[in-house]
Amino acid sequence: MKARQKILLLLMAFALVLVSACGGNNSGNSNSSNTPAATNAATNGDKEPDPVTLRIAWWGGQPRHDYTMKVIEMYKSKNPHVTIEMEYANYDDYWKKLAPQAAANELPDIIQIDTQNYTQYAGRNQLADLTPYIGNQIDVSDISQNAIDGGKLGDKLYGMNLGVNALGLNYDPALLKKAGIESIPENWTWDDYVGMAAKAKEAGLFFDSGMRAEVFFGYYLRTLGKTLFNAEGTGLGYEDDQMFVDFFGMLSKLVIDGAVPSPDVLAQIKGAEDSHLVLNQGIGVWQWSNQYVGLQQVANRPMALAPMVGPEMTKGLFLKPSMFFSVSENSKAKEEAAKFINFFVNDIEANKLILGDRGVPVSAKVKEALKEVSSEAQIQVYDYVAWAESNSSPMDPADPIGSAEVFKSLTSLAEQMNYDKIKPEEAAKKFRDEATSILKKNK
Amino acid sequence: MMIKKLKWPIYHIFVAALAVGMVYPVLWLLMSSFKESNLIFATADSLIPQPWIWENYKIGWIGIAGQSFGTFIMNSLEIVVISTIGAVLSSAFIAFGFARLNFVGKSFWFGIMMVTLMLPHDVVLVPQYILFAKMEWLNSIKPIVIPQYFGIPFFIFLLIQFIRTIPTELDEAATIDGCGKFRLFFRIILPLVVPALATASIFSFYWRWEDLLGPVLYLNRPSLYPVSMGLKMFLDSDTVSNWGAMFAMSIVSLLPVLAIFFAFQKYIVEGISTSGLK
Amino acid sequence: MKSLSLKNNLIGYTFIGPFVIGFLLFTLVPALASLYFSVTDYDLLSTPSFIGMENYTEMFTNDSKFFASLKVTFLYVFIGVPLRLAFALFVAMILNTASKAIGLYRTVYYLPSIIGGSVAVSIMWRNLYGDEGVINHFLNMLGLDSVRWFAEPAAALWMLITLSVWQFGSSMLIFLAGLKNIPGELYEASNVDGAGPVIRFFKITLPMLSPIILFNTIMQTIGAFMTFVPAYIISKGEGGPLDGTLLYSLYLFRQAFVYFDMGYASAMAWIMLIIIAILTGLLFWTSKRWVHYESKGGH
Repeated sequence: MKARQKILLLLMAFALVLVSACGGNNSGNSNSSNTPAATNAATNGDKEPDPVTLRIAWWGGQPRHDYTMKVIEMYKSKNPHVTIEMEYANYDDYWKKLAPQAAANELPDIIQIDTQNYTQYAGRNQLADLTPYIGNQIDVSDISQNAIDGGKLGDKLYGMNLGVNALGLNYDPALLKKAGIESIPENWTWDDYVGMAAKAKEAGLFFDSGMRAEVFFGYYLRTLGKTLFNAEGTGLGYEDDQMFVDFFGMLSKLVIDGAVPSPDVLAQIKGAEDSHLVLNQGIGVWQWSNQYVGLQQVANRPMALAPMVGPEMTKGLFLKPSMFFSVSENSKAKEEAAKFINFFVNDIEANKLILGDRGVPVSAKVKEALKEVSSEAQIQVYDYVAWAESNSSPMDPADPIGSAEVFKSLTSLAEQMNYDKIKPEEAAKKFRDEATSILKKNK
Repeated sequence: MMIKKLKWPIYHIFVAALAVGMVYPVLWLLMSSFKESNLIFATADSLIPQPWIWENYKIGWIGIAGQSFGTFIMNSLEIVVISTIGAVLSSAFIAFGFARLNFVGKSFWFGIMMVTLMLPHDVVLVPQYILFAKMEWLNSIKPIVIPQYFGIPFFIFLLIQFIRTIPTELDEAATIDGCGKFRLFFRIILPLVVPALATASIFSFYWRWEDLLGPVLYLNRPSLYPVSMGLKMFLDSDTVSNWGAMFAMSIVSLLPVLAIFFAFQKYIVEGISTSGLK
Repeated sequence: MKSLSLKNNLIGYTFIGPFVIGFLLFTLVPALASLYFSVTDYDLLSTPSFIGMENYTEMFTNDSKFFASLKVTFLYVFIGVPLRLAFALFVAMILNTASKAIGLYRTVYYLPSIIGGSVAVSIMWRNLYGDEGVINHFLNMLGLDSVRWFAEPAAALWMLITLSVWQFGSSMLIFLAGLKNIPGELYEASNVDGAGPVIRFFKITLPMLSPIILFNTIMQTIGAFMTFVPAYIISKGEGGPLDGTLLYSLYLFRQAFVYFDMGYASAMAWIMLIIIAILTGLLFWTSKRWVHYESKGGH
C-alpha cells in the first residue's frame, strides 16, 4: 500500500516535469490579448502607470556589462515605475542558462539573441511577435525597413535589430606594403586575392588567418547568385558541387602552400593578443566589422578595412544584424519591454554610452549623433558599414533549424581539406549528403 | 648511518625538483597577473613582468558592473561553507549505515547510489531546473546547497571504504559496553575517519568554490554571483576579454582554497595507528 | 540473508535515510525524465514527441562521430586512469613521511589540481606542446623528431592524458589518507622480520590500501568518462584536430545545447551509463579477489 502510494507520488512528479517541459507550446497561443490598441489606450491615459518589473538578459564582456547597466539606470530614472532585473553572463554561460529557462517557462522578458540561435527560439514559439509594437511603442521613423526585416522569420518579427555588421578584411596597411602590395582595390577579385597571398608568403608573412568556412562559403555562394540553404530551410541552396570545389580548393591550397596558417598553428593561439596580425606576422583577418575596434585596440597601430572579394561582391555582401533584443512569449509586460527596446535603439544619450558595441546602430539619427563622440576606429567602422549598405544585397532568410549541425559538418570538412586529408571533390559530396540528411527533418 | 644521511638531502632535492614542475603554472599565473593585459600572451615564455604593474588587482577588485569582487568572494564563502558542512556530515552519517549496519535493501540502495554517479548531469539539468523552478527555489542558493545535506555519493563511497578499513573488533568492544549505534558512530567511528573527513572537506570546499554550472543556472542576480562566475565575466568569446584582471583575481580566489587546504591537510595524519588501538 | 529485526532495519534506514530522501526528491524524477527524453525527439524548446528507439538506432547505425568519440574516450580512460593512479600513489608514498616541510610539499603537489580547468593551465599546456615548446625541445635532445601535437589526432589526445596525470592531486590526497590509516605496528613487525621496502610494499601497503585503491579506480574511471573540460582547454571545445579530442561528454553536450537535440543527448547519456555500470560492476566483481577489508560484512 505504502509502496504504491510512493510510486504514484513519483509518477505525478514525473508528469509534472514533463508537462512543464512542454510549456513552450501552450503559452504560444494564450497570450494574444496584448493588442496594441488596448495598450495604447492604457499608456496614453493620465493616471500613473502601474509598477512593473522587467527581467533583461544579455551576454558580453566587462565593458558591455558596465555600459548596459548605465543605460538601464538612465531608463529607470526616466521611468520610475519600472524596476529592471539584470541577468548577464558571458556568451557560453548565457546559452547554457537560457535553454533550461525556456524549458521551464522562466525566460526573462527581454532577451538578447544572435542570428545563430534566433531561429531555434523564434521558431519554437518562445519569442513574441513584435509587429504590433512597431510604429507604436517602438519608433522606427529613423530606421530603414531593411534593418527591421533583419529580425523577421516568415512574416513575423521576433527580434529588434540592435546594430548591423558587414564582413570584410581588417588589415594592417604597413604590413601590406611590406609584402610589396600598394593597396587593396575596392573591386578586387579572387585571383587578386590568391596573387596577394602568394606575395605575402614570399615576404615571410601570412596573408590572413583563414576564412571561417560556414560564414564565407555562404558569402561566396551569394556572389554566384546562390545561397547555402534553400528558402524553405529543407536542403542546400546550390546544386552544383563545383562551387564548393572551387571555393574550398582555393582556400585549402593557400593553407597547404603556407600563405595562410594551418589549423594546428591557429589552435596554438591563445587570444587576439598573440594572433599573427598583432605580432606583425600576418597582414589581415577576415571578420565582422564589430570585431574591428577590439582588434585595432589590441594591435595598437593604424589599421584599415577592405571590402570583400569579388567578382559580384555587391551580390554577396550583406548587412547582418549583430544581435537582437527579443521579448519572450511568456512575458507579462510585453509593451513595457517594447518601450525599453525603443529607448535602447532610439535614445541618443543612451547610444552615446553604447557606442556601437552591439553593431552599427540602425537609427540614422543615432548614427549621426555618434560621430562626434566616437573614436577614430569606430568611425572607420561606421564608414565601412555605410559604404557596405549601398554596396550590398538583402540578407538571406534566417538560418534554418539544424544549421548549427550543418555548420559543424562544414567546418569539420574544411579542417580535413586544410590538412590535405580529403580532396575538395570528395568533401563536396560528403557535405551534401550530411547537410541533406540533417535538413530533411525540417520538411 | 651513511646511507641515511645521504638519503635525506636526496629526498628533498627530488621532492623539491618535482614540486617545481607542479607549481610552475601557478607561478606563471602569479607573474602574469603583474603584466599588462595585452602583453600576457606575447610574453608568455618569460616569467618576469616588464613593466611590473598593480593595476590588474585594482581593476579586478572593482569587479564587474557595480559588484565588487569582494561581494563575489563573500557569496562564494557562504555557498561553500554551508555546502561543505552539510556534504561532509551527512555523507559520513550515511556511509556508516552502508559500512556497518545490516538491513533489507542495502545492496540495492548502494547500487542506486553508484548509478547516480554515472548519469551525466547535462541530461538531468533541464528536468532538475524545472523541478527547482516549481519549488520556487530559483534565484537563491537553495538548489546549490540544500541537496548537499542529503549526502554526496562520492564522499559516501569514500567514507564507506575508510570505515571498512577499521577493524570491527572496535565496534564489538563498544557494543559490549552497551554503546548504541549512534554513539558508536559519533564516539568511535567518526574520530577514526578524521583523515578521510579532512580529505572530503578539502574536496567539497574546492568543488563548490570552482563550481560554475550551479550558479550559472540558479543565480540570476549579479549580487548573488560567486567567484567562479565573477572570474568568467572578465572573459567573453564575443567581445573583449580582460586577461590581466582575470589572472589577478584568479590569484586572489586561490588564496581561500589554499588556506583551507593547508589547514585541513594537517588532519591527514595517523588515524587508528596512534589513537585507536592504544 | 538471516531475518533482520525491525529494529535493525529501522536503524539502517535512519542512517541512509538522508540519501534515500535526497534521491527521491532531487534525482529520481530528473533521471526518469531523461530516460523518457531518450525515446523522444526533444529540442528543449517544444514538447518532446515520442519516436521509440530512433535515437538509439541512429546512434549505432548512422553516426560516425558517436563511434569516434567513444574510441577517443576509451583511449583516454584506459590509458589515463592507470597512469594517473600510479603517479598519485607514487607521490603519496614519497609524501607519506614525517618532515617539517611536509605540509608545504603536500600543498605544492596539490596545486595543479586546484587551478583545474583555468585559462592559465590551458595557456601553459599550449606552450608546453607548441611547435617550439619544451616537449619538442626535449624530444629533439633525445634525437627524436618534433611532433606537431596540435595537428595529429593521436598526439593531441596525449596532451589531454598528460594533463589528467598532472592533475593527480585528488587521488593522491585520498591515497595519503589511506596510507595514514595503515597501522604503524604492521611495518614495525615486518622490520623485525627483516623485510625490505619492496616486500613491505607488496605484503603490507598494497593489501592494506586495497579498499582505497578500489575506490580511486572506480571513481577515477567514472570521472574520466564524464570529462570534458580539458577538451575545452586544448581545442576550445571543438574536439579537434580532426575529432582527435572529441570526448564523449563533449559530443553529448554539443548535441544537447548546440544542436538542441536533447532526446539524442539523453540516449547517449544512457548508453554511457550502461558502459560505465558494466565496467564498475566488473571492478566490484574482481574486487573480491584483491580487496582486503579489516571489517567483515558489507555488500
